[in-house]
Formats: sequence, structure tokens, C-alpha cells
Amino acid sequence: MNSEPSPHSILSRRDFLSKSLAGAGAGLVLGVPSILRAANQSSVGSDAIHIALVGFGKQAEVLLTCLKNIPGLRFQAVCDISTNRINKFRSESRGMSNAEGAKFYADIDDMLAKEKGLDAAIVSTPDFWHSPHTVKCLEAGLHVYCEKMMSNTLDGARAMVKAMEKSGKLCQIGHQRRSNPRYLYTHNRLINGHKICGQIINANAQWNRSLGASQDIGGAKLANSIIVPDAILNRYGFKDMHQYLNWRVYRDLSGGPISDLGAHQIDIFNWFLGTVPKRVYASGGNSYFKNREHFDNVMCIFDYDTPQGEVRAFYQVLTTTSYGAGFYESFMGTEASIKISEIATSSAIYRESGEHVPDWGALVDKGYLVRKPAPPKPEPSADAVASYESAPPDVYDLPGGFAKPAHQPHLENFFSAVRGKGKLNCDARHAFESEAAIFAVNPSARSKQPIDLTSEHLSV
Amino acid sequence: MTTDICTTGNKLALTYGALLLRIWLAVRAIQTGLEKFAGAVASDQPVKVDGVANEEGLTAIAATKAYALENYHGVPEALMTKFQGEPLMLKFALPIYDKILGPALLILGFTILLGIANRTSLFLLGLLYVSLTWGLILIKQDEGVSWLGIHMVLITLALMLAEHNRFAILKKW
Repeated sequence: MNSEPSPHSILSRRDFLSKSLAGAGAGLVLGVPSILRAANQSSVGSDAIHIALVGFGKQAEVLLTCLKNIPGLRFQAVCDISTNRINKFRSESRGMSNAEGAKFYADIDDMLAKEKGLDAAIVSTPDFWHSPHTVKCLEAGLHVYCEKMMSNTLDGARAMVKAMEKSGKLCQIGHQRRSNPRYLYTHNRLINGHKICGQIINANAQWNRSLGASQDIGGAKLANSIIVPDAILNRYGFKDMHQYLNWRVYRDLSGGPISDLGAHQIDIFNWFLGTVPKRVYASGGNSYFKNREHFDNVMCIFDYDTPQGEVRAFYQVLTTTSYGAGFYESFMGTEASIKISEIATSSAIYRESGEHVPDWGALVDKGYLVRKPAPPKPEPSADAVASYESAPPDVYDLPGGFAKPAHQPHLENFFSAVRGKGKLNCDARHAFESEAAIFAVNPSARSKQPIDLTSEHLSV
Repeated sequence: MTTDICTTGNKLALTYGALLLRIWLAVRAIQTGLEKFAGAVASDQPVKVDGVANEEGLTAIAATKAYALENYHGVPEALMTKFQGEPLMLKFALPIYDKILGPALLILGFTILLGIANRTSLFLLGLLYVSLTWGLILIKQDEGVSWLGIHMVLITLALMLAEHNRFAILKKW
């Protein structure tokens, strides 16, 4: 990494504000409503956690929305190679007293060399930079929250685990479902506590995304509006603006849809089943996006040996069809199935019928579950064969939800751990063990062969 | 004598009429303005399971209504999207209108209620309703246009009864 100061290095927010005074004044004249809209300020005391944002792309904007709601943070520095993105942070943080005085950098080495007193870094750069950036921050003595996927390579992910363990610092990986109250409750109380599924034998998850949402980002107009000079792009591993805007579709820069979208959900397989798969079979193809380096559609099966017995888990990621209920994970057992998603309305618990299923009346009475109204009975149809059909399951729901942005609990968990008030829900080692299977999907699909996951894959 | 009583009674009725219209229009404007600061606040209380607050952080799903400055939304989002697609709509003016609408309703509502420059306040409220009517005509919300038409009739009646207005802080204008 180059450590030359960039043109916008060390331009403080205070400087920026003073230069923008005239504009701000005009805004105030017009702007009673802009005062009305003033966001809640995070309270910052002397024990504030000083953070740096490493990368300020779209995902960082999502994280910033959550960080604004977490008290006790001080935004000390922001690093991004794009001046446009730095300006985006400025506009997004307008009115945040805990971002006043933030310093801006184009280069992480420059930032780490000059910024003293940083406590933690939020890394949300493209996947192929996750490992180098996380390792640098850990070695500089910072705790790190890094977006998933850990890296675009297994070795990159290994390096993050090693750096975390060597530095003794915290490193949380952004598998945010692991801190989601609904997922925690389902895992702790329903699957492991009351074992309401009985023996889980199958799992199934998917992320079906429409063609419209899967198109390349940009086009000439966008590229021209946020252009980053070629010299800078090349220095940071991008061939051109297309690669910079669409790094997710390039093999050297990311793991493709199975990593982008699938990583969250395959992680849930491993977490809920309490183990990692022993084998992966996958199939994929460039069925629509012929020129992309990564497969646009992938289907895969993971074989597990769990203490309860064998489990097969099917996962599909589609980037050409949204039909089929979007994204969710489901766990199917002998007594019940749980369908869960970050979207609460896509979640439900289905109790099997039959004498082998214990009565759930006590669970409902004590508030562990809520019975949903029974769906209307379908009209008898002429082509139905009654003897082939099972009785429809009863439908239940969790007793509550949560009203925060999806990533906020995971960030809160990270900062609690930084303050010594708890344990990370997804540290780099646990994330590595979970992600190892994901790294095997694309090779299996390319070779059209199953891959056995051995200690070689899982060892750091 | 009889004529005097009738005239006095009629004046009293007209005064009552003016006051009632004034109060109605003020309440309508003030509450509509206030509603633009309304939002839903989700519970942050953990749900009790088996009599104990759950440790995972599940909270009650039902949200309660609350008013706050940061909830402010002048033009509802669904309507805003439709307005943005209208060729006759001045795009630069939309965000300004969005910001002004709520405070304008509140200010005019209070000036009418307190009787501050009553006729001018009623006239300005009428203009505000005309602007809303124009927007609703653009997006073919005929029902809304009819509702606003009734408001315009009431404002006109209030202006016609202005000479019978009492209990006003500033009678001028």
C-alpha cells in the first residue's frame, strides 16, 4: 500500500464546515425543517470508543445508519480512495457532533501512521481488501469489525484469524444474523432449549434475487460522476471503473453470489446445526450473465454429521429470478420446521401433526411461542388425491421481534465486547470455521465434483 | 322592541357561527400539522418468557404512536413518489413544499384559533388548500379534491362571517 498523502488527506471536518458556512447559512434561512429533522446525537463522553471507518461504500452507509444509534462512539477517521465517497460521509454525518473533527484519508497506512488514540476500525472495503486491511488494523492495536465474507481466499481468512489471535485484539466478522434477537432466540430457546424440531434431518435456504437487482452497477453516467483516477484504481487493485464499481463479479476480487449472498445463510446452517459440513456438492453456471467470471446461479448441498444424525442442507442463490419468497433459511425436523429470515414476516414455525409430536400448549401458555391463526382450509379440488396428502401443519410464531436496523445488534455486540462487557457473537475463528465450507462451493461447481472438507480446510 | 331582540339574537347566532367555523378550521389545520410529526415507536421492553424477560432481546412487536421532530414528513412518501413523476410538477419546489407544509398548517391553525389577522390567515389557509388541491388533481385523487373543496367552502363562509368574529388578539387584517 502506498503511504503518500492523498489530495484530500487530513482535510478535517471542521475545515470543511468552515468553508461551507455560507451554504449552511442559506440552509438555515430556508430550513426550519432541517432543524426539525435533526437526528439524535450520540452522546459521547470521555470513555468514547474512537473509531475509524475503513472504506465508505454502500455497505458502510448501512453500517453508519446503525452506528448513529449506538451511544459512546467518536468518529475519528474515515478512509476511502474515492473523494466522492468521503464527501458522502460528510453529508451523511452532517449534524453528528461525534463526527466533528473527523480526519479523512485515502490510504490506510497513512491513516494508521498518523491517527493516534484509535480504539477500533470498521472495515467495509471490497472482499479482496478485507484481509489486508483487517490484519493491518489488528497489528496496529485496533479492535476490528470486518464485513463478511472474511476474504476472497481461504488463506486470506486464515491470516485474519492468526492476526486476531496474535494481537489479542477483538475481530468480529459481519455475519449479523448471529446477533439478531430472533435468530438468537430460535437457536437458544427453540432448537437447542426445547428441541421443538425434534430431529432435524434437512435444511434449506435460498436467496433469489431478480434480474433487475443483479445488473452491473454504473454505466458511463455514474462512472463519470464518481470517477476515481486510473492511477489510484490501479494502485488499489482495480483494472478500471467497471471493476471498481462491480468488484463482486470478478474472481480475483470476490467470491461471487455464493459468497456475497450465500455466506450469511450457509453460516446459519453451521451455527444452528452446531457443526460444519463434511462434504459439499455444487452446480453452477453462467446461464444468463455469459461474460461474468462468477457463476450467476449456484445450487449446492452440504452433508453434515450432527450429534442427532445426518443432515442434508440445500442452498441456492439465483440472480435471475426473485420468485420463491426471496431469502430465508429453514430447518426441517421430525416434529416441526422453522423458517426464519431477516424479514420477520417471512418467518414461521410449523408444527407437524401426529401422535409423535408433543403438545405445545404449555410452551404457548408460558410465552415461548405464539399460535398464529390457522390459514383458511383450501377448497377440495378435483385433481387432489386425499390419501397422498399430509395434514397441514399448525403455524406458530416467535413471541416478539426487534425494532432496530438488521446490523445494529451485531455492532452493539462488538462495542460491548470492546468495553469488556460481553463476548463476540462471531469472532474471526468461528467465522473462519463457518466460511471454510463456502470457499469450497465454487471449486466444487467448477470441477463438478464433491469436495470433502477435511482438517486441512478447517485448520488455521 | 321585538325587532331589537331578533336582531341581537341573530347577531349572536352569527357570532357563534363565526367562532365555530374558526375553531373547526383551526383544529383541522393544527392536528393535520401535528400528524406530520407522528411516528411509530417500537417497544424496547423485552418480552417475558415463562415469567422472565428474555435474554436474547426480543421485544414486543406492537408499536405505539409518538410525536417527535425527527418523524417529520410533510408530503407522505407514497404521494411524493407520484408527484416526482409528474411532468408539470416543479421538482426543485417539492422538497421545499415538503418542509414548509407541516409548519405552515400549524402556524395558520394557531393564528386562526387565537384570532390573529383572522381574514389574512383564512386567506392563506385557503391558498394552502388550493396548492394541495392542485397536487391532488395532478395525480387524479378526486376524492381528496372533493374534501378540499368542502374546506374551501368553509373558509369562504368563515370570511363572510368575519365581521361577526369576536375574541380575537389582532383584529386588523
